[in-house]
Amino acid sequence: MSSLTLRNLKKRFGRVDVIRGVDLDVADGEFVVFVGPSGCGKSTLLRMISGLEDVTAGELRIGDRIVNEVQPARRGVAMVFQSYALYPHLNVRDNMGFGLKVRKVAPAERRQRVKEAAALLKLEALLDRFPRELSGGQRQRVAIGRAIVGHPDVFLFDEPLSNLDAELRVHMRSEIAALHKRLGNTMIYVTHDQVEAMTLADKIVVLRDGCIEQVGSPRELYERPDNVFVAQFIGSPKMNILPAASAAGFGQQPTGTAHVGIRPEHLSLVAPEKGQISGKVVISEYTGASSLLHITIDSGETCLVLVDGDAPEADVEVGLVADFGNLHYFDADGTALRKSQVSG
Amino acid sequence: MTMKPATGVTVRGERAPWLTLKMREAIEAWLFISPTLAGFLIFFAGPLVAVVWYSLSEWNLLSQQATFVGLANYNDALFRNPDFWLVVRNSIVFAVGLVPLNMALALALALALSRRFRGVVFFRTVFFAPVVTSAVAWAIVWKFLLQGEAGFVNQLLAAIGIQGPNWLREPDWAMVAVIVTRVIKMVGLNMILYIAALQAIPRDYEAAARLEGASNWQIFRMIIWPLLGPTTLVIMVITTIGSFKVFDHIYLMTGGGPENGTLVLAFYIYQQGFQFFDVGYASALAMIMFVIVMGLTVVQLALRRRDT
Repeated sequence: MSSLTLRNLKKRFGRVDVIRGVDLDVADGEFVVFVGPSGCGKSTLLRMISGLEDVTAGELRIGDRIVNEVQPARRGVAMVFQSYALYPHLNVRDNMGFGLKVRKVAPAERRQRVKEAAALLKLEALLDRFPRELSGGQRQRVAIGRAIVGHPDVFLFDEPLSNLDAELRVHMRSEIAALHKRLGNTMIYVTHDQVEAMTLADKIVVLRDGCIEQVGSPRELYERPDNVFVAQFIGSPKMNILPAASAAGFGQQPTGTAHVGIRPEHLSLVAPEKGQISGKVVISEYTGASSLLHITIDSGETCLVLVDGDAPEADVEVGLVADFGNLHYFDADGTALRKSQVSG
Repeated sequence: MTMKPATGVTVRGERAPWLTLKMREAIEAWLFISPTLAGFLIFFAGPLVAVVWYSLSEWNLLSQQATFVGLANYNDALFRNPDFWLVVRNSIVFAVGLVPLNMALALALALALSRRFRGVVFFRTVFFAPVVTSAVAWAIVWKFLLQGEAGFVNQLLAAIGIQGPNWLREPDWAMVAVIVTRVIKMVGLNMILYIAALQAIPRDYEAAARLEGASNWQIFRMIIWPLLGPTTLVIMVITTIGSFKVFDHIYLMTGGGPENGTLVLAFYIYQQGFQFFDVGYASALAMIMFVIVMGLTVVQLALRRRDT
C-alpha cells in the first residue's frame, strides 16, 4: 500500500494544456474519486499516475519514490479500464494470470493467486470462459480480478461502470466499495457520475479544465462548496443559483454577495402569500417517491424544487421558503462567501 | 381521392390486388440482384462450365474441331508429361518464396505505419503505389534494373564490392528475382489490410499489457499477433491464390525461362492454350490448378480453425 503525492503536475498535448498544475495528497489506503465534466482532464491525470502518459512538468510521487520516469509496470499500480480491456483470445484464467506470466511468476504461484482473486470476486465458475461469453458485470469483475492478482499498491479505475446498465452499476458500485474495505489499498477512481463519486469516495477531487476546483469529503463538497461550479456539479438535482436581488426574500446576505445558492431539497412549498418568494409551477416531474418542480419565480428565474409526496400541477401559484442554514453565498467571481460574514 | 373513414372504423390499407407484401419484396429483391446475377452467369459460371467441358475434349484451336476424350488430358498432364511436374514444382517454389516474404514484409511495414506520425501518409502511399502501377511498366523497369553487369542493381552491388549474378539469365537467380520484384509490387496491398486490422485492435489492450509488465515483443507475440489471426488467414489465402495465378509478371520478365526455371502453372496454361493452341489440355491444366488452389485454401482454413 502507498500514499500518492502530486506536486504542480502538468500535461501538455502539443499546444494544449490539459493538466495545468495539479497539487494533491492521497493518504495510504484512501479512496479518492476524480470527478468533473467531459474533457476536464480526469482520465489524463489517471493515465499520468499509471505511467501511460508521461508528465510534462511537476512531480509525481508514489510512496516515497518519485516515479515521473519510472515505467508503468514498475510503479506498483494496476488499472481497470472503462472498456475492461480483456484480451478476447484468452479465457478468464489466462486474462487474470497474464501479468504474472509476463513477469515470469512460477506457474504454481500464478495458479494460486488467480484462484484467490477468483474466490474473492466469485469468479471460480467462469475461469474457463472467454470474455465474449461473459455479461457486462462479469467482465467488470474479471477486469478487477486481473488488477488484484498483481498485488498492486495503488488501484486506478477509469470510469469502470460507465458501460453497465443502471441496476448493475449500483450493484458493482457496492462491490467496489466492499472490495476497498477488504483490501484496504489506495484507490483512485475516475467518474463523471457524481452519485458514484459521493457514494464511493473518502475524498472527492473536482476537476475543471485541467485544474482542481475543490478537494474534500463528499459531505464537505455538498455542504460547503468553494465555488458556483462545485456547488452545481455536486448534488442532484443541481443547486439553484439566483442573483442576489432575486433571493433577497430569503434573508440577509453577506457583503459582496452576487449570487445565492439553494439546493432543490432545501426549498419548501407554502401558500403564495406565506412564501419568502413566490412563483408559478411550470413543469411538475413525478418520479415516484418525490416530484421535481420547475418554478418560475416572480423575478423571472427558474428554480428547481424537490417535493416529497403530493406535488402541485403545472400553472399553480406557490410560495417558496428556504432553509436559512442551507443557503450558499457567492461573490461576483463565483467564489463562496462563508456564513460567518452574515451579520444576522 | 381516398375516402376518409369515420372514427373508430377499421379499414383495409391499400394493396396490390394479387400480390402479398412478401411476394412484392421478393420480386424487388430479384430485380435488384439481376444485373450482378446476369454478369456472374455469363462471365463466370458459363466459362467455368465450358472449361470443364473443354478439359474433357481434344480441341485444337486452329482445327475448330472438338472431340470428347474423357480424362485423357488429365492423364497426359499427371502421368505422361514431365514438364507438368516441373511447372508444379516451380509454382510451389514461387509460392513458398513469395507468401512468407510478402506477409512478413507487409506486417513489418504495417506495424511501422499503423500509428500516426508526421509523414505517415506519404510512406503508406510510397509502399502502396506499386500495387496500382502498371504491371507492364513495373516489369520493364525491373528488367532494366536487373540486367547483367550494366544493370543498376549490379552496379550498386559492385560499389560495395559484390559481383551480382545475371539475375534474369540464371535459372535459380531468375526465380529469386521474380519473387522479390513481385513481393515489392504487391506488398502494399497486404500492408493496408494489416494496417486496418492493427487499427481495429483497441489501444487499451496494449496499455493494459504494458501496465502488467509486458515488453514490446511480449505485447506483439501474446496480444497483437493472435488478434491478427483472422486477417493473417485472409492474407495468406489470397496471397497463395495470387501466387499460383501469377502470369503477367513471369510473361514480361522472364517468359518462363531461363531453362524453364520460372515456368509456372498459369504461364504454362497460357502457353498450351494460346501458343500451342491445345485448348483441351490447357483446360485440364486449369482444372488441376483450381483443385490445387482450392485444396491449399481448405488446408489453411482447417489449420486456422484447429488453432482457434
